[in-house]
Amino acid sequence: MPFLQYIRLADTMARMALRADAARYFLGYIWWVLEPLLWVGVFYLVFVVLLDSREPNFMIFLATGKLAFVWFSKTVSQAGNSIVNGRGLVGKISVPMTLFPMAVVQESLYRQAAVFVMLAALLINDGYEVTLTWWYLVPLILVYYVLILACSFIGACLVCIARDFSQMITLGVMFLLFMSGIFWDVRALDDPVKTQLVLDLNPLCFILDAFRQIMMYNTPPDMVHLAAIGAGFGAVLCVMVLIMRGGGQYLALKALTA
Amino acid sequence: MSTDNQPALHTSSDEPTTALSDEVVVPDPAEAVDRLAMLELEEVSLSYHAHKKSFDHGTHHVLNQVSLQLYEGETLGIIGRNGVGKTTLLRLMAGILAPTLGKVHIHPGKSASLLTLGLGFKADLSGRDNALLAAMLQGSSRKQAKSFLPSIQEFSELGDSFYEPVKDYSSGMRARLAFTTALMTHVDILLVDEILSVGDAHFREKAESAMKSRITGGQTVVFVSHMAEQVKKLCDRVVWLDKGKVLAMGPAAEVVDAYTQHVKEARIAAREKNVVATG
Repeated sequence: MPFLQYIRLADTMARMALRADAARYFLGYIWWVLEPLLWVGVFYLVFVVLLDSREPNFMIFLATGKLAFVWFSKTVSQAGNSIVNGRGLVGKISVPMTLFPMAVVQESLYRQAAVFVMLAALLINDGYEVTLTWWYLVPLILVYYVLILACSFIGACLVCIARDFSQMITLGVMFLLFMSGIFWDVRALDDPVKTQLVLDLNPLCFILDAFRQIMMYNTPPDMVHLAAIGAGFGAVLCVMVLIMRGGGQYLALKALTA
Repeated sequence: MSTDNQPALHTSSDEPTTALSDEVVVPDPAEAVDRLAMLELEEVSLSYHAHKKSFDHGTHHVLNQVSLQLYEGETLGIIGRNGVGKTTLLRLMAGILAPTLGKVHIHPGKSASLLTLGLGFKADLSGRDNALLAAMLQGSSRKQAKSFLPSIQEFSELGDSFYEPVKDYSSGMRARLAFTTALMTHVDILLVDEILSVGDAHFREKAESAMKSRITGGQTVVFVSHMAEQVKKLCDRVVWLDKGKVLAMGPAAEVVDAYTQHVKEARIAAREKNVVATG
């Protein structure tokens, strides 16, 4: 299948899934912004009203981290089951196995666009300014996208081989929620060496921190670090494409028979 | 379509003996060489490890050393009871699965694809959207797929319902849409799995004649069914598959009659056994 046709097909699958989803619910597309708004509402209730957090902007701090993390968590969880859930198609047509996670990634890209717009509106509403530094969001989002794509492909393959991986992905995403500095500030750790270590070892933590640095503190991220993450996950992505291309029939058999 | 040059009925050597073995005629190799083999299966076996250890140490053997050739322009029928490996055989031909042993040769530059009903249908989407997606999944570009839509709407006789969600369709309407979108598949080798048992009598007739015009138009077809009469009517040559092995292969009428006879005998034997058991 030519690359352009592959991309168009994945995109059409994604749009159709979104359209079907919107048709299923009474509130339709409104859910795209309603869900993140509810998250922010809960953060406000817990941290501002109940716990009376003394740190200024803690709610915005949480919202930025959580709403950026949602892109990763939702996509990877859903993409993990994509080939297995698509076995009705797998048994009927010979298509690249990457098509299934790719369509999921594309679908959540559209959803996340609405979430990012809402996040920006939230920041502006709270008095934050949109500055030229925000341009750094472009490479940041690109690298984040590559990371999500690579993880989605790995997840989809693993779940095909053994369904148990689906449980492990759910757990893994939950662990990352606590380990990636969403509820705590990686820069507020008592030892700067520890901060650097966490940022170096957990690329997700670095990316979420970069969103805050850019949008809240008007500071560009460490571009060398960002490029290294992009290159690393780009290489993983290439390897995954090769594996899934070569082992497509094996994955199809696994999806159909397990 | 003429059946003059078809290799005649034969059975492979290691098969269980059946009533058919008296009728064995060895094919003339010179006749086979004349025709272009579009697709060839060479000693193809497929097995996989099942989770439950109910099979051979957990290994499920679906196909066992199946060899066959498919020639250009012919309609090859595959007949056999449920669960003998017919669908798996088509999946191997379509390149969806790879054989555990043996080889699948497809003539360079030729494509094989399954004609499938209701490819990824989403009930919440309109018939139009589903048709568009199905056509794209079958290999069309978005532009081509869009150009098919008016003819899909017309052939399926859905009228304005084409723009309504599929969940509001009757089962007949669904079947019509499914068959029509499937018919848009344009490949060198069309692999058909139990497709003509769809919709009401009027549409079934229309579907069958559309299929027939494809076949007479020189399309190479592999047609899987357990409906003996349909296979006899549509196919030139037939392969009888049983327990993952080729039991017989040859001109449609002969193999189908032998199969029908076998099924009848098996049914009588089962009934007698039942009478003895309950009597």
